[in-house]
Amino acid sequence: MNRAALRAALRDAGIAAAVALLLFAPMVGLRTDVGPAGALILRPRWGLVALLVGLVFCGRLAILAWQTRRKARLAPPKGLPRAGRFLAPALLGFAVLLPVLPFTGRYELDIGILVLTYVMLGWGLNIVVGLAGLLDLGYVAFYAIGAYSYALLAQTFGWSFWVCLPLAGILAAFWGVLLGFPVLRLRGDYLAIVTLGFGEIIRIILLNWATVTGGPNGIGGIPRPSFFGLPFSSDGGPGSFAATFGLEPSPIHRVIFLYYLILGLALLTNWVTIRLRRQPLGRAWEALREDEIAARALGINVTTTKLTAFALGALFGGFAGAFFATRQGFISPESFTFGESAIILAIVVLGGLGSQLGVAIAALVMIGGFELFRDLDEWRMLFFGGAMVVIMILKPRGLVGDRAPTVTLGGRKTAIESSMVGQG
Amino acid sequence: MSALVVSNVTMRFGGLVAVDRVSFAAEPGRITAVIGPNGAGKTTLFNVITGFYRGSAGTIMLGDTALHRLPGHRIALAGVARTFQNIRLFGGMTCLENLLVAQHRALMAASGFGIGAVLGLSRYPAAERRAIERARAWLVATDLLDRADDAAGALPYGAQRRLEIARAMCTTPRLLCLDEPAAGLNPRESTALSALIVAIRDGTAAEAPPCSVLLIEHDMGVVMGISDHVVVLDHGARIAMGPPAAIRADPAVIAAYLGEDEPA
Repeated sequence: MNRAALRAALRDAGIAAAVALLLFAPMVGLRTDVGPAGALILRPRWGLVALLVGLVFCGRLAILAWQTRRKARLAPPKGLPRAGRFLAPALLGFAVLLPVLPFTGRYELDIGILVLTYVMLGWGLNIVVGLAGLLDLGYVAFYAIGAYSYALLAQTFGWSFWVCLPLAGILAAFWGVLLGFPVLRLRGDYLAIVTLGFGEIIRIILLNWATVTGGPNGIGGIPRPSFFGLPFSSDGGPGSFAATFGLEPSPIHRVIFLYYLILGLALLTNWVTIRLRRQPLGRAWEALREDEIAARALGINVTTTKLTAFALGALFGGFAGAFFATRQGFISPESFTFGESAIILAIVVLGGLGSQLGVAIAALVMIGGFELFRDLDEWRMLFFGGAMVVIMILKPRGLVGDRAPTVTLGGRKTAIESSMVGQG
Repeated sequence: MSALVVSNVTMRFGGLVAVDRVSFAAEPGRITAVIGPNGAGKTTLFNVITGFYRGSAGTIMLGDTALHRLPGHRIALAGVARTFQNIRLFGGMTCLENLLVAQHRALMAASGFGIGAVLGLSRYPAAERRAIERARAWLVATDLLDRADDAAGALPYGAQRRLEIARAMCTTPRLLCLDEPAAGLNPRESTALSALIVAIRDGTAAEAPPCSVLLIEHDMGVVMGISDHVVVLDHGARIAMGPPAAIRADPAVIAAYLGEDEPA
């Protein structure tokens, strides 16, 4: 705080103290008591008055100091995006190098896979919620469809992972279109309710259609992924991954492969989203989020544009589901409850609608942090609830709420403040 | 041949007849103004023409195209662009982005409906350069070039009005429909707006071809100054039609605006 501001603050506090003195001198400073002779006597309490006035003075100073600090903190709103220029490549480098870092064991890799799964789901949902502004509370349904599609296709036909993965994604996208077609004329809360219902319907179908899905018993023995045809067998026999590359057979090989697989899938999601955002399709999504009526008046077909967002989000959800199935080897309806949808949506909202970096950080904090505090047992729920409330108070539009323009005339890219950006 | 022919258009909301058998024609290369007291049905008529309401009866022809049969977004593709009485810009997007969204259809076709452009194998970059050039021309015409990379929501009110017109013109319309473009503007801004609308009609703005204009306006200075043809509505019905000078002298119009003398 500079000298002039300090002087102003001191004067302000002094005025407050003077007002306090004026009030407290007659009310607190002079007290009437019954004297020994039975008459009223005046008993002055100047010490107490001095204490109160001092408290007011210090309290006023503290409030002023807090206000100026708060103003200073709110003034430059682009702190994180500017840091993002270095943060995003740093995070990516860390993600790529994680399996070869010295301290990385099986446990760290498993957490990495889990976090990256949620990063991918968050990025997939970000297309629907963040860009197109369609609130989807049943995203986990597409995750489930992808997982069950993969499991059933791989088990029934014995197809390899690389054949089943696109099929699982396409099936999920197909159901996204099928759901989207009737409901996308709804907006806001109504759309949210219908998607919530859809998520539950899918889960209940999986639970009750026992002849196909195995009901509550789920599907076990899902084929594990192979390294482009070379299985990760533990005995290291001929034709296995370890034997082909002359390595000591180890179960960590498969984990590392799975890690890079989900990293690749997540980066594919990110790449497609970033590219589409700079295309007319991506701009049309954002235009729909900002003002649907104006978008229609400009000749944008609202229904098909929304459908593409819905289908693309579902496609990536389906990919993530197929990965989940092959990683776990066992799936059941338990894994696809509404809670999962809520966590994915929380990641997107916490990270900042439409921000790729924000979603990645939020997934890392939510899922990774949740694992980190495992020793705290039930207390971690309390801790995370509190942390989310704090973030929502300090950054109501998410960690990275600003929007970067997709194209510029002058070449200078100034972020658009979050308060301007619509939320669908 | 007329640019826009509206015949016997009626719009009922339940028992209320907001627009009652209105017919008029907007000639190509002319500015046609629709005026009338508050609640006369001007904006309702506008919403029927631009497809936001489906008329209860009547036909609307733009050249050979029957607008009243088309779904909302197809009307814009047929060549009708509009602005809104309460400005509807994409506030979180920059001015340039707003103008590029307006060229969605052409860009979308060039990008191979999204797939080709993602894979990077299409003629999309050239199409985008052309689109940006057109957007720049309109930013110059509306005096917004220095705000091109600013969020549309951060512009002052008058600039937002101009940007909305630029955005509508970026769809390369044959007919531009303006819903009270001068509302809330100061006299100097109104004069500049009049000049812009005339330039759009004559095809001297941003190297665009001449464009017919349909105008709803309360500011009589603007209406009488630039209109070639005026249609007057009252209580949903057309009460007068003609050149501005004739309208100004029309007793029915004066009665609608100022009230009639009580019969003695």
